[in-house]
Amino acid sequence: MVKLWKMQTGKKAIAAVSAAAVVATLSLTAGAQSASAAPVKGGTLYVITHQDQLDHADPQRIYTGRDIAFMESYVFRTLVMYKPVAGTAGTGLVPDLATDIGKASDGGKTWKFTLKAGTKYSDGSAIVCEDVKYAISRTFATDVITGGPSYAMQYLDIPTDAKGNSAYAGPYTKVGQADFDKAVSCSADNRTITFKLGVAKPDFNYAMSYPISSPVPAAKDTGDKMDLAPLSEGPYKVASYKIKGEMDLVRNPNWSAKTDSVRTNYPDKVILKFGVSEDVRDQIFLKDTQKNAINFDALQLQNNISFFNSPASKTRGLNVNDPYTVYSAMNVSKGHLDCLEVRKAIYFAWPYDALIKLNGGAKLYGTPGDNAIKPNIGIDYAKTTSHINDKNFKSAGNPAYSKTLLAAAKSKCPTTYAKATSADQGITIDTSDTAAAKKSAAIVTPAMEAAGIVIKYNYIPTGSYYSTIQDNTKQGDMSGAGWGPDWANASTVIPPLFIKDGGFDLSQNWDDPAYPAFKALSDKANATLDRKAQAKLWQQAAEYAMAQYWLGPVSFTKQQLSWGSGVGGVDFWAPQGTFLFPALYVKK
Amino acid sequence: MLKFVSRRLLSSLIILIVISATVFIIFNYLPFDPARLACGKHCTPEIVSGNRHRLGLDVSWWMQWWEYLKGIFVGRTYGQGAAMFTCPAPAFGYSFNQHACVSTILASALPVTVSLAIGAFIMWMFLGVGLGVISARFRNTWIDRASNIFVLVGTSLPTFISGLLILLFIVLKFNLISPLDLGQWHSPLTAPWEWFTSFFWPWLSLALIYAATYTRFTRSNVIETSSEDFIRTARAKGVSERKVLWKHTLRPALAPILTIAGLDFAGLLGGAIITEQIFQLPGLGRLTLQAALQDYDLPIIVSTTILAATFVVVANLIVDLAYAFLDPRIRVK
Repeated sequence: MVKLWKMQTGKKAIAAVSAAAVVATLSLTAGAQSASAAPVKGGTLYVITHQDQLDHADPQRIYTGRDIAFMESYVFRTLVMYKPVAGTAGTGLVPDLATDIGKASDGGKTWKFTLKAGTKYSDGSAIVCEDVKYAISRTFATDVITGGPSYAMQYLDIPTDAKGNSAYAGPYTKVGQADFDKAVSCSADNRTITFKLGVAKPDFNYAMSYPISSPVPAAKDTGDKMDLAPLSEGPYKVASYKIKGEMDLVRNPNWSAKTDSVRTNYPDKVILKFGVSEDVRDQIFLKDTQKNAINFDALQLQNNISFFNSPASKTRGLNVNDPYTVYSAMNVSKGHLDCLEVRKAIYFAWPYDALIKLNGGAKLYGTPGDNAIKPNIGIDYAKTTSHINDKNFKSAGNPAYSKTLLAAAKSKCPTTYAKATSADQGITIDTSDTAAAKKSAAIVTPAMEAAGIVIKYNYIPTGSYYSTIQDNTKQGDMSGAGWGPDWANASTVIPPLFIKDGGFDLSQNWDDPAYPAFKALSDKANATLDRKAQAKLWQQAAEYAMAQYWLGPVSFTKQQLSWGSGVGGVDFWAPQGTFLFPALYVKK
Repeated sequence: MLKFVSRRLLSSLIILIVISATVFIIFNYLPFDPARLACGKHCTPEIVSGNRHRLGLDVSWWMQWWEYLKGIFVGRTYGQGAAMFTCPAPAFGYSFNQHACVSTILASALPVTVSLAIGAFIMWMFLGVGLGVISARFRNTWIDRASNIFVLVGTSLPTFISGLLILLFIVLKFNLISPLDLGQWHSPLTAPWEWFTSFFWPWLSLALIYAATYTRFTRSNVIETSSEDFIRTARAKGVSERKVLWKHTLRPALAPILTIAGLDFAGLLGGAIITEQIFQLPGLGRLTLQAALQDYDLPIIVSTTILAATFVVVANLIVDLAYAFLDPRIRVK
């Protein structure tokens, strides 16, 4: 499950988003470099970020797309991995520690991966099946291993209590260990790992591309402290990691390219430099003062505009469609926006043009969208008939049409109508307490007034934004959020966003009369093994959800990458939503 | 004197205890839930509750406070089973955001802040007091007017402006420090030159505003003292102007400045947040800022608050003692 903190946290931008297996299209491939330039070995590659630390560096806790791509390219290895190439080919899986991309049986309820021979940790010890099994077991210790993906808990055939909590509590307390051992087992030669799933999961192997499958020997598990000193199996090992300082990666002498078709070790060293002030960071890339550096972040808005408008610098940048959908969720629970006409009235009055202009224009920000699923996900996307595809949609806002919808709402759902139009009630929009959000509010409020809708903003401190809106009792009528798929299957979009226990259902739609039919459709899609038939069902489910306006305004956003002129091999790694790290080298 | 010091120490201790309790109370009523923040994406009420236990937030604020105080003397143990670990005394808690005992984190941040504070203090005292004395001595001359301009500019430029200007238009523009070297800590014991060069610009940025204020303050104090009867008497007795200035004027004129300087210095030891942020120095100020605004890291917030309060309390004590030394009238009383 992936959520995008971009709209709300500003500085964190894509930071808290896990990888998304989507086909990103390069809308302005200004700086994409020719693949024919031969990479060279040597030099130091600097990776610069304003953040003080990685959200997590423990392989079982890391869940930020950008951080995953970085650590998986240089430090960790996993059972399977995305192909290290740009474009659509990059969304396919290739074997990594395993000999193949996994073998499914029992209708997708049993998965087997056999480990390659000769793979080692940086200390020279061999990687064995029990290490992968132990690594997976760590994700169940939610009292220590916090923040990471919960795929193992969701998919493995391990009993749960009435509240849905796993009977297994992880390797530290070993409560329920027997249940886990039944669900995950290693062969006698310690080379093949077998996963027994509780449900058929034809795309389970995609979950194994996450570092949750990166091996950890039980004897070397340091619990919480592994977040500062992770083990290495990749081409580099962590020589030092200091929060607010840097993470220094040096070559791992026990890594061999013969067992690794994904990674490279071109630079002598890779230094991830933390805590660089945003102004200094932007100057570095605007002026190209640190030629052997790449920007781990996005530039600040005005600097980003300058960078991509300047002929001198834009050749060192990529402007791509990112994997994320940014939206305002409509809370359709009783007492909130439990009236379709009111939801539509809000949507059609939305001042898209002004908001996009505020955020850097369509060229850098993105465009209005029609779906929770972004087109670059592939076959699961189909144009919906609602939102921007409705004939009444106007990107500047259509208050006249909103008024007709409100008029209909007045008789059909008078309570919600009264809430939306009376000054003493009004529609509450949850938003992060940032300067940018206040500028947006200054655009939205009068635009809604023109349609006769009263808007009240609920500014929530940035750090507690998501924890507040995920609390059903504290969420307002609308909440800004964002989402990207974990991999190229809408099973990582539709259920999380619209199913009660999906993890991020901000529409609180489970009491909506339209919900049962939708849930049945979603469940059917999830259980369908034929990929094409499944895609059709996801398209229908998306059409259904969007027609209910459980999501209000949606945007298909873009992201920009920037780097110094001394870095070669730069390209966009679509499934990871960031640099194609394995291709990067420092020019001589 | 001993009785005075003992009394002050006791009251200081009470102040610190009250401050630490206050931080716990405030934290308890803030609308943030660190347990939820640390929860991750698949967040269930059980995980939140487990996190609350792990962070020690599942008990009342006074129990949390008591555990904290106890830990300072006996250390603290966290986790269970194979994931158990201990922070030895003096334990100021454990930061689950930074994965380290707070005492270790403080030990790494403190030298940075102390370096920044001492250097800036020396710089502004030399510059501010020196310029103040000179402009008082040469009152209404071009020197005095130039000093006035410095005071005006210095006090009008807040550190977040002067710091950024220095950083972007001097340090980075002329490549005086590589942007990637900003914030690198060099120990003055092992790499004194690197230490000096890495701190020079932060010192200057921080010292500017203080120096301007101290120039104005020193100037007016010196001028005021110069018009005192005992100065007139000294001059009437034929004492040289140099001696009048250095021996008779400066000592009483500087006594009140010392009081302010002590408190300003102590305040800086608590963390010069803006300067540390601009120059990316990993000191107490940045540590506090991150803990308070980003991580809601209670053990770090409490510890840095107590440390900052300790600096102020101790500085007050030292200033009082120094004041007594500088001004014989205090000693008599």
